[in-house]
Amino acid sequence: MLGFIRQSIALSGANLRSLPRRAWISLSMVLSVTLVVLVLLGFLAMANGFRKTLSATGSEDVALVLSRGAFSEALSRIGTQQGHLIEEAPGIARTNEGAPLISRELVVPVDAVAQDGGKNETLSLRGISANGLALRPGLQISAGRMMTPGTAEIVIGARLAARYEDLNLGDTISFGRSQWTVVGHFTAGGSVFESELLADAGLVQAQFNRPNQIQSLRVRLEDPAAFDRFSAYVDGLDLGLLAQSEKAFYAAQASDISRIILFLGWPLAIVMAIGAAVGAMTTMYSSVSDRMVEIATVRALGFSRSAAFVATLVEALTLTLIGCAIGVALAWVGLDGWSASTKSGANAQLAFQLALSWPQALSAVVLALGIGALGGGLPALRATRVPLRAAMSGRA
Amino acid sequence: MTSVSYDIELNGVYKSYPLGKSRIPIFEDLTMTIPDGDFLAIMGPSGSGKSTILNLIGGIDTVVRGHVSIGGSMLDKMSTRALTRWRSEVIGFVFQFYNLMPMLSAAQNVELPLLLTDLSAAERRERVHTILDIVGLADRHDHLPSLLSGGQQQRVGIARAIASDPRILLCDEPTGDLDRKSADEILELLQLLNTKLGKTIIMVTHDESSTRVAKRTVILDKGRFVSEEIAQCA
Ligand SMILES: Nc1ncnc2c1ncn2[C@@H]1O[C@H](COP(=O)(O)OP(=O)(O)OP(=O)(O)O)[C@@H](O)[C@H]1O
Ligand SMILES: [Mg+2]
Repeated sequence: MLGFIRQSIALSGANLRSLPRRAWISLSMVLSVTLVVLVLLGFLAMANGFRKTLSATGSEDVALVLSRGAFSEALSRIGTQQGHLIEEAPGIARTNEGAPLISRELVVPVDAVAQDGGKNETLSLRGISANGLALRPGLQISAGRMMTPGTAEIVIGARLAARYEDLNLGDTISFGRSQWTVVGHFTAGGSVFESELLADAGLVQAQFNRPNQIQSLRVRLEDPAAFDRFSAYVDGLDLGLLAQSEKAFYAAQASDISRIILFLGWPLAIVMAIGAAVGAMTTMYSSVSDRMVEIATVRALGFSRSAAFVATLVEALTLTLIGCAIGVALAWVGLDGWSASTKSGANAQLAFQLALSWPQALSAVVLALGIGALGGGLPALRATRVPLRAAMSGRA
Repeated sequence: MTSVSYDIELNGVYKSYPLGKSRIPIFEDLTMTIPDGDFLAIMGPSGSGKSTILNLIGGIDTVVRGHVSIGGSMLDKMSTRALTRWRSEVIGFVFQFYNLMPMLSAAQNVELPLLLTDLSAAERRERVHTILDIVGLADRHDHLPSLLSGGQQQRVGIARAIASDPRILLCDEPTGDLDRKSADEILELLQLLNTKLGKTIIMVTHDESSTRVAKRTVILDKGRFVSEEIAQCA
């Protein structure tokens, strides 16, 4: 056993030292693994970043009321009468004057022109009640001021302001027939709210010709424990409405969407990995034939077949690990923290940051090792079958 | 009676290689004995089977029929694993093109077969030193093969072949790629290994004058020995 290890180390070392002889083809193998790793990490970071963004959104003491079965707010409808009934629910926090802290909200898709390329993209304009701000504790004005209820003023998520035209302070932007004045930019702790435009709900209803239309109710609860009472009351009304904690709502969306990203990403990465493994196999076969005389010679000296196998596999794994390391490093430098955007549930742009994590780097390493084992296995077997006569005839 | 005698015996050896669908025989019924301590030179035209004999004796090729036995071990009965191990203990190879690992230094090349022994790193280093000294390369330890002349590379090749103290050296045209002077030095070195250290040496050569260092010379043609001469002085 000790002998086997010593033989394997000696042959692997000699192999690796002979890599410069096969520099270009080895490099192509390294880079193909780098590419696979980058694609995989791109998807993983997207899924992760998405989850992070959504899980930073929503509080436990805010309840969200939607039509039962509505996956997103866009599909939900709440009647005026229903809204009034909800106001009577137990567990709702109230202002000093006794008014319930409820925001009637609706989201309408609007078009904005992207700064780079001038493409039209869809954003979400959310109409909120005067209380809507009190229901978003993380929300802070980063420039300008809050809009005044009853006026055609909007405030804009800070991430969007830099990416679209006409969203600077003081700009007037028109959506369809309506005109809006940008009075403020806000941040919201990295949550999805940062991807929205906020305006007065009444004005949104009026300007977009959706009188009395409400999609969701946001309700501030007395405390998180009040949710059960509140939710039971909503169920008891039997109006086809469902109450969820805001946190649970976004968490569910996050896991749905990040699962979709992973469902796309893993198969793509695996198909690419198979391609890379085939390429690696070619590289490693050529390595074996390049080292044919050397292998035959050491085998003639008495080195075992298994040592020849291990040495070849070590070469393959080393190359793929180098490729993987480069991929992870590039991803970390280039992808992590990079802003991306995607369609959110309401079919509007949602900005989020790619986020890499150690477990993801580990999956990249596992994938790379898989490529190395798959691509190096058969060539390593061939290394064990090199005819020893080759030593006699071979000119090194 | 102190140690086993490593006589080499080929008995009724049949060996052929596939050619297309048929097989062309190299040896149909080859029988020969090479006693322990012999220095045998083998000559003969290209394709007559000289290398094949060395391969069969060295256990890197196998007979189709017949037997190869060395010091009582029947090579044709051994498993690949056992044969590999046996080879590392009994056989040293010297190749026409040296077959050194180009990325390893002279000393590292010589150390390779010692990695198959139980010697410690210190013992290996010591042994490598002694052997490079014997072949006259004491000052070339750390040179890569590419920095050595052909004659020097072949000395490293011989040093590697004798590093683990095998009884038998198989040399396939060891001077075939060398100039006269280097060739003579290598031949003298081989003769020394035979006379002073008692190694059995079988040397294939194309060069008649090389045979002077051998004790016996056989000429092989079409798979048969056509003549044999025994050197006057041994
Ligand atoms: N692996 C092989 N497959 C098929 N034929 C082979 C193989 N090895 C050797 N031969 C054939 O066997 C015959 C003997 O080969 P061998 O190498 O023993 O000759 P040789 O006497 O060493 O020749 P040379 O002086 O050219 O080295 C040759 O005709 C050769 O073509
Ligand atoms: Mg030959």
